[in-house]
Amino acid sequence: MAITEEPLALTSGEAATVERPLGALTRPKGGNGWRDWLSTVDHKKIGIMYGVAAMFFFVVGGIEALLIRLQLAAPDGQILSAEVYNQVFTMHGVTMVFLFIMPLAAAFANYLIPLQIGARDVAFPRLNALSFWIWISGAVFLNTSWIVGGGGADCGWFCYSPNSGLAFSPSHGVDFYVIGLQIAGVASLISAANLIVTVLNMRAPGMTLFRMPVLTWMLLVTQFLLLFALPVITVALFLLMFDRLFDAQFFNPETGGDPLLWQHLFWIFGHPEVYIIILPSFGIISEIIPTFSRKPIFGYSFMVFSGIAIGFMGWGVWAHHMFVSGIGPFSVAAFSLSTMFIAVPTGVKILNWLATMWGGKLRFTTAMLFAVGTVAMFTIGGLSGVTHSLAPADSQQTDTYYIVAHFHYVIFGGGVLGLMGGLYFWWPKIFGHCLNEFWGKVHFWVILVGFNLTFGPMHVVGLQGMSRRIDTYAAGYGFEFWNLVATIGSFIIALGVLIFFFNVWKSRRDAADLPAPGPDPWDARSLEWMLPSPTPEHNFDTIPVVESEDEWWHRKYGYDENKRVVRIATIEEAAQDGSATGVHLPAPSFWPLVLALGLPLIGYGLIFNLWLAVVGGALTGLAIYSWALEPVDDPDADHGHGHDDHHDDDDDGGDDHAADDSEPVTAGAEGGE
Amino acid sequence: MATTQTERLTVSDKSNFWRRIPGAGVVALLGLTLAGCASDAELDTLKPESGTADEIYGLVLPVFIVAGLVLVLICGAVLWLALKNRVPTYEGDDEFPEQVSHNNTLEITWTIVPAVIMVIIAVLTIVTHISINKDEAAAIEIEVDGEARMWDPTIVVVGQQWWWEYRYYLDEFDLDASMLEDPRDLPPADIVTSGQFAIPTGVEVDLVVTSRDVIHSHWIPRLNGKRDAVPGRFSPWKIEADDPGVYFGQCTEFCGLSHSRMRMQAIAMDEADFQQWIDMQMSPATFGEELQPYVASYRAGEPATVSEDASGVLRGLDTFVAQCASCHLVDGLNDLDYDGAEVVSGSAPNLTHFANNTTFAGAIFDLYNDDGTFNRDDLAAWIRNPNDVKANFANDLADGELPRGMPNRNLTERQISDVIDFLETLGPRPSDERIAATEVE
Repeated sequence: MAITEEPLALTSGEAATVERPLGALTRPKGGNGWRDWLSTVDHKKIGIMYGVAAMFFFVVGGIEALLIRLQLAAPDGQILSAEVYNQVFTMHGVTMVFLFIMPLAAAFANYLIPLQIGARDVAFPRLNALSFWIWISGAVFLNTSWIVGGGGADCGWFCYSPNSGLAFSPSHGVDFYVIGLQIAGVASLISAANLIVTVLNMRAPGMTLFRMPVLTWMLLVTQFLLLFALPVITVALFLLMFDRLFDAQFFNPETGGDPLLWQHLFWIFGHPEVYIIILPSFGIISEIIPTFSRKPIFGYSFMVFSGIAIGFMGWGVWAHHMFVSGIGPFSVAAFSLSTMFIAVPTGVKILNWLATMWGGKLRFTTAMLFAVGTVAMFTIGGLSGVTHSLAPADSQQTDTYYIVAHFHYVIFGGGVLGLMGGLYFWWPKIFGHCLNEFWGKVHFWVILVGFNLTFGPMHVVGLQGMSRRIDTYAAGYGFEFWNLVATIGSFIIALGVLIFFFNVWKSRRDAADLPAPGPDPWDARSLEWMLPSPTPEHNFDTIPVVESEDEWWHRKYGYDENKRVVRIATIEEAAQDGSATGVHLPAPSFWPLVLALGLPLIGYGLIFNLWLAVVGGALTGLAIYSWALEPVDDPDADHGHGHDDHHDDDDDGGDDHAADDSEPVTAGAEGGE
Repeated sequence: MATTQTERLTVSDKSNFWRRIPGAGVVALLGLTLAGCASDAELDTLKPESGTADEIYGLVLPVFIVAGLVLVLICGAVLWLALKNRVPTYEGDDEFPEQVSHNNTLEITWTIVPAVIMVIIAVLTIVTHISINKDEAAAIEIEVDGEARMWDPTIVVVGQQWWWEYRYYLDEFDLDASMLEDPRDLPPADIVTSGQFAIPTGVEVDLVVTSRDVIHSHWIPRLNGKRDAVPGRFSPWKIEADDPGVYFGQCTEFCGLSHSRMRMQAIAMDEADFQQWIDMQMSPATFGEELQPYVASYRAGEPATVSEDASGVLRGLDTFVAQCASCHLVDGLNDLDYDGAEVVSGSAPNLTHFANNTTFAGAIFDLYNDDGTFNRDDLAAWIRNPNDVKANFANDLADGELPRGMPNRNLTERQISDVIDFLETLGPRPSDERIAATEVE
C-alpha cells in the first residue's frame, strides 16, 4: 500500500488538525491481550470472534439436540418432562439457526470478503464491531432465559401465534425469544448494510463485479437477503412483543387479530432465511471444488446468476410453509408452482459443481471431502424438498419428521458441512497452521455417517406418520427402530464434533514442529492466498490490480502456445510478504461494545422492570454520543513514512500506481463512518 | 509448489476400504429405508385407504421414483468422479487438466431439462390439487327421530388443548366465523363427540376445521392430508373412507404441552351401522333404575343425598355431579344448567355416551382392555391426577388463570372407583370388534 503523508481520513483536502480529546474519548490502542479483542475493529478478529462464539453455541444447540434424541430413543421417553422438552427443541432450533449457522457464515463473510475483493477492511469497521457485540449480547440474552426467565421459549422456533401468546405461554421464555431475536437481528442488519457497501465500493482496482469470487457473490446475495428479510421478522417480533408485554391484540382472534398474520410475516422472513443459511456454504464449496479439481469453476456466470435467481425467487415461496394453514386453494396452487421452479437454479448449481469436477484432478483434502459431501447431502435435501412442493403431498408430509429430515439435509447437509469444509480450507490463512488432515478425514467420515444415521431414518418415520415436535410417541406405530437408530446417529455426530475440537487442539500443538503452510498451501485461486498466513493485520501490502477472475491463480499460472497451463511464478514470487509497515488502519474503539451492552439491559427492563430499560437506554445513548464524539483516529497513531516501505509486486509494477489510486477509497470509508 | 504440511499428510491416505464406504452406505440406506416402510404403521402416509389419500399417493409415488433416480444419478456421478479423477497430491505434478470454464449449450440444457421435468410435475400437481379440493359431497339419506331426511354430511372439527371435538349438525346450518361474537361459542349441535368420530363409508364427508385456543392440525393420514385448526377460522376439508374400520390420527401442529398426546380416530361405518350410531348419539344418556330417582331430583334442582352404603354407581353419580358436572356435559343429567367449562378453551368433552367410546383423554388411552373389560386402571390413574399421565396446565394456577386440561380434583380412591363405576354405565358398550380395532398393535 502506498502511504501518503497526510492523515488519510481527511480526503476532502482540509488541513489535518487533530485535537487531543479528553479521557474516555481517546481511541484505545490495539495490541494488548483481551483489551485488544474487546476494542478491535479489525474484520479478521471480528470474524474469528464470530466463529468462536458460533462454535460455542453449536455445542449448546448440540447438547439440546442430544437431549431431544435421548428422549425419543424409545417410546414413552421419560428423560425430560413435556414442558422441558418443548423448551429444549425450541431452543435447539433457535440456537442452531440464529446463534450457530448465521454467525458462522458471518465469520466467513467478515474474514473473507475484504480479502477476496482486495480491501483493507470493511467499509465501516466500528459498525462491524458493533454488529458482533450486538449479536453476541442478543445471543447471551436469549440463553439467559434458562436462568432468569423460568426456562427457554417453548413455542417452537417459528413460534406460531396464538400458542406464543401470553395466555398459552405465560413464562418469560417467549419474551426472551422476541427480544433476543430482535437484538440479534439488529446485528445482522448492520452487518448486511456494512458488507454490501464494502463489496460495492471497496473492491480493488480491476475487480469488477464479475471478477469477484463466487463466494463473495453468494455472500453479497446473502447480505441483500438479510437486509430485506430481517425487517419483516423484526416487525413480527415487535408485534408479538407488544401482544405479550403491553396487551396488544395483533394475533388474538377473539379481538379481531389474526394468527395467520404471524405465519405470513414469519415465513416471508423464514424462507429467505433458508437461503441466508445455505448460500454462504454454496459459495464456500464453489471455492474449494475448483481449487481441488485444478480447474476453474464451471460456468461462473451461471453459478452467479443462479445464486441471484435463488435470492429473488426465495421471496416468492414463503407460503409453502402454510399449505395446510387454510390459505385457500388458489394461494396453495400458486406457491406450489413457485416452489417447484426454485429447484431449477439450485439444480444448475449442483450440475455445475459436478462439471467442475469432471475431467479435473481431484485432490481429496478434508476441505474437498466436506465440499463434495455437501453436494451429495444437499441433493438429498433438495429432492425431498421437491416432493413437498407438491401441495397435495405436502398435506401429508408437513409437520412430520419427513420435514425434519428434509431441512436437516438442507441446513446440516447443505449448510453446515460446507461451512466445516470452509474451516479446513481457510484455517491456515486464519491461524497460520493447517488442521491435521488425518483427524480431519476422520472428522468428516464420522460426521457423514452420523448425519445420515440421524436424519436418514427421519424420512421413514415421517412418512410413517410421526409428527414433529412430539415429546413422546407410543409403541406400536412403527416408530421405535428408526428413532433408536437416529439417536445412535446423533451421538456419532457428537463424537465427530469432539474429534473436530480435538483436531483444533492437536493441530495447534503440533504446528510448531511442522513447516509453515506458506501463503497458499492449497494452490488456490483467489486473492486472500497471496497474503502471508496468518493474514497480517493490514491485509495487503499493496492493493493488487485485478485483471481476471481467479486473479491469484493467474498470477501463478499462464498458458503456453499449446494452451497448456504453465507456471509463470512461484507462490513465493507472486505472494506478498506482509512486511509493509506504518500502514494506516482504523483505530480500535470500545464504544461498539458499550453500545451493545445497553441493549440486553433494555430487554431485561422490558421484561422485569422498566427502570432497568431506562438504564440500558442511557448506556446505549451514552455510547452513541461518545462514539460520535470520539476522534476518527488515535492522534498518536502512526500514519506511515512515505514510499520507502512500499513493496512492489514482483510481477506487476503497475500495482504501484493503482494502489495510490485506491487509497482514498479505503481510507475514506473509515473517515465517512 | 513448495512442500506443505497438508500435502505430506495426504500422500499415504489411499486405502480401498475407505473408498467403498460411501457406495455401500447409500445402498444400505436405501435397503433399510424400504425395509422400514414395509412395517405396519397405523399412521402410514403411504398406505392410503380412501380416494383422496389414493390420489395423493398416486401423485407422490412417481415423484419419489424420479427423485430417487436423480439422487442415484447425482450421487453416482459424485462417487464415480471421486474415484476416477482422484489424485493423491499435486506435488511434482505440472500437468493441469483441460481448463474448461464453461459450456453454454450444456448449461442451458441442464437448466431447461429440470425445468421441463418440473413443468410435468407441476401439471400433475395442479390436476391433483384441483381434484382433491373439489367439493363432491352429496347429500345422503338419514333418519332422525324416525323421520327420513337428506343430510349433507358435514362435521365441524374443533381442536382445543389437547383433544378434538366433533360436532354434527344434522339440520341445515350456517357457520360463519365473522358472525360469532366469540369463536369458541359454536351453535348447539345435534351430536357432540370427542376423540373419536364416525363417518359413513363410501361418501365424501365435509369437515369444517377450527380451534378454540391455539392452532392444531387435524390429520387422519390413511384418509387424507392434514388441515390446520386455526382459531377464528373455519377451514374446509374433507374426509372419506372406502371401507369400514378405525383410522388413526394425530395432531400435527405444535399446540403446546401435550401436543404429542392429542390423537383422534375416525370410525368408518357402513350405512346401517352409521344410522344406528346416529340414533344412539341423538338419545340422551340412559340411567339404570337405581339412578333414575337421583337424576330426577338433580334435574329438579334438589339433588338427593346419597348414603355411604349406597352402591358404587350411585355414589359415583353423586361424586360426578359434585366434582365433574361443572365442566363435563351428560345429556339427560346436567344439560339444564350446563354453561360451558371453566377452562381456557371453554369446553370439556361431552360424556353422554362415554362408555361407547373405545379411547379417552384425547384418544391416548384405550377405554377397554384386550380382554374386553373396562380399563379401570388407566381411567383411575387419569382421574387421580390427570397431569401425571398427560401433562397439562390445570393445577397450581396463578390468580385468575384458567386451567388448560383437566385439573386434579383430589378424589379419594373410593370416589375414583365410584366415578368409574358410574362412567361405565354411560354406554352402550361398543362391539367387541370395535374394541379390537382400536388397539394399536
